[in-house]
Amino acid sequence: MTAVVTPGAPAAPPGTPGAERPPGRRPRRRLTPYWLLLPAALWLAVFFVAPLVYQASTSVQTGSLEEGYRVTWHFATYGEVLERYGEHFLRSFGYAAAATALCLLIGYPLAYMIAFRAGRWRNVLLVMVIAPFFTSFLIRTLAWKTILSDGGPVVGALDVLHVLDVTSRLGLTSDDRVLATPLAVVCGLTYNFLPFMILPLYGSLERIDPSLHEAARDLYATPATTFRKVTFPLSLPGVVAGTLLTFIPASGDYINAQLLGSPNTQMVGNAIQKQFLNVLDYPTAAAMSFVLMALILVAVTVYMRRAGTEELV
Amino acid sequence: MTIRLSGLAKEFGDFTAVHPLDLTIPEGSFFALLGASGCGKTTTLRMIAGLEEPTAGSVLLGDDDITALPPHRRPVNTVFQNYALFPHLDVHDNVAFGLRRRGIRSVRKQVDEMLELVELGGMARRRPRQLSGGQQQRVALARALINQPRVLLLDEPLGALDLKLRRQMQLELKRIQTEIGITFVHVTHDQEEAMTMADTVAVMRGGRVEQLAAPAELYENPRTAFVANFLGTSNLLTARVTAADADELRLDASGSPLRLPAARGNGVATDPGGQLLVGVRPEKITVTHGADADGVAAGRNRLDGRIRDASYLGVSTQYLVDTPACPAFAVYRQNTDPDPRLVPGADVVLHWDPAHTFGLDAAQDADAGTGEDAT
Repeated sequence: MTAVVTPGAPAAPPGTPGAERPPGRRPRRRLTPYWLLLPAALWLAVFFVAPLVYQASTSVQTGSLEEGYRVTWHFATYGEVLERYGEHFLRSFGYAAAATALCLLIGYPLAYMIAFRAGRWRNVLLVMVIAPFFTSFLIRTLAWKTILSDGGPVVGALDVLHVLDVTSRLGLTSDDRVLATPLAVVCGLTYNFLPFMILPLYGSLERIDPSLHEAARDLYATPATTFRKVTFPLSLPGVVAGTLLTFIPASGDYINAQLLGSPNTQMVGNAIQKQFLNVLDYPTAAAMSFVLMALILVAVTVYMRRAGTEELV
Repeated sequence: MTIRLSGLAKEFGDFTAVHPLDLTIPEGSFFALLGASGCGKTTTLRMIAGLEEPTAGSVLLGDDDITALPPHRRPVNTVFQNYALFPHLDVHDNVAFGLRRRGIRSVRKQVDEMLELVELGGMARRRPRQLSGGQQQRVALARALINQPRVLLLDEPLGALDLKLRRQMQLELKRIQTEIGITFVHVTHDQEEAMTMADTVAVMRGGRVEQLAAPAELYENPRTAFVANFLGTSNLLTARVTAADADELRLDASGSPLRLPAARGNGVATDPGGQLLVGVRPEKITVTHGADADGVAAGRNRLDGRIRDASYLGVSTQYLVDTPACPAFAVYRQNTDPDPRLVPGADVVLHWDPAHTFGLDAAQDADAGTGEDAT
């Protein structure tokens, strides 16, 4: 993910504007952008690039825990990973996509309301959006375990309302339980990543000049058309940022599947964790991580192309 | 189409933005709502557009009561103060927005014609932020006009332009209005803009219309001190009525006798002994050096004074003259034949045709409409 966002060298071609400056001041001016980049570049080199290279080399090693692993350029691990864990990858992207869609459905109206209708409650509501961050991720997910527990009020209510019948038929729940089903995992993901959807959405909605709404209304657009033709297109940068910030971490998440799911709802993160920490098969774990990263990169690139947000500021 | 506002009022909580207002804007006129910020002019405009819901009263367009119609169903369009162009659409799509919302499919020809009218022929595919302020302003105008509204509302449309461009656009707007002949309602705080463009000006203050008249009438015969000061500059001084007949009032201003045609007294106190405010515009006054005082024609209003300050303005020179009746009397003198004796400290006689004098009710603040009040 970081690789997508990290800017390269400064965009302006160095040298050309500098030609008119007095020669004594030139080198310093031209170096300034690089000095500003230095801390981040060092940080990324030590904590991102180096581990990445190390991991890449791990992924092509063979051997065993007892004899040690050696680089043998064994690329076949990648094929094996895809074959053995294809289902996990699919599940990861499926759950992440479902959670992202839910976050958008829940988050957009809320962000819209905070941006345009909240008045003096705006800041209070924004604090409430990020309030969950004051508690640890783990605790919050464990709390969901209680909320969705078998025979608890939530499950009871869903049962009475016959919601569970519908979700069972869709394969999201089974045996009148919510816990340990795909529904629970998706709910957990949605809850945990919702703020990452709301904040960018709010950011882009809040920047829309309210007089644009008035102009649209003045030009014969109904409130619905105003939303479709003006508000939503102008909020697209927030939609893109929000979906990326939700989808990417959600597809690599394993806590929710671990705590709220079952062996049948394992995501690729769970598989990687197991290989690294339980089975201690480092090459397989490293290869899986790389496949996950590559798939996310491709998905994001395709998505950004389709969204075509370069034209929007 | 004629707009009639009857008893139209708007309150925001405890604050009354517009007091019940009755106003008729005749068809085809260029009507200006003029006033300082916060005087209720924009609120009035927004109530006509439907963007603000009136607390009381009604808006009639021709014979139709449109008070309850939402903005998208009113046959009026607005040019917004900051233009409010859609940043994600190019010029063509901005201008076509209103037509498309009304289900008109082939808009190309109409849009092109409209862009020609506002002289933006080659700009159809540009984005708003690639245009200069003046060009954006014309896009906003085209976007409103293409819908052939019955009434075009303009909310400080030239406020963001620099002076030169503003002058040019004033003439341009006037030309377009004459060409298409629809009613323009123009909100502005710039008195010069209102005077140049509008055939009728309503001067607003504190949510009320202070005076409604043609620009020349407003300027020559203001009915309140606020209007006298807000439109151009006025010299106002307090005077006492000494005698009155059907045609003329004779006044005394701190010892100087003055004459005021009865028709220009705005119906204020005419009984001998009554007080009133007397006004005269600075450019109506002739300044003559004290040594030539004998040459001043009889029958003119005259005040003796001493020049406090002289500022050379190119076309004219502005003098501030201290007189017993009024300190800092402003006088403009054309620089056609400069008199080198007219320097600060010189004794002078100020004199003007009594027909240029106007009278106002003394029970008001003579400084209303000057200074911070007139931003």
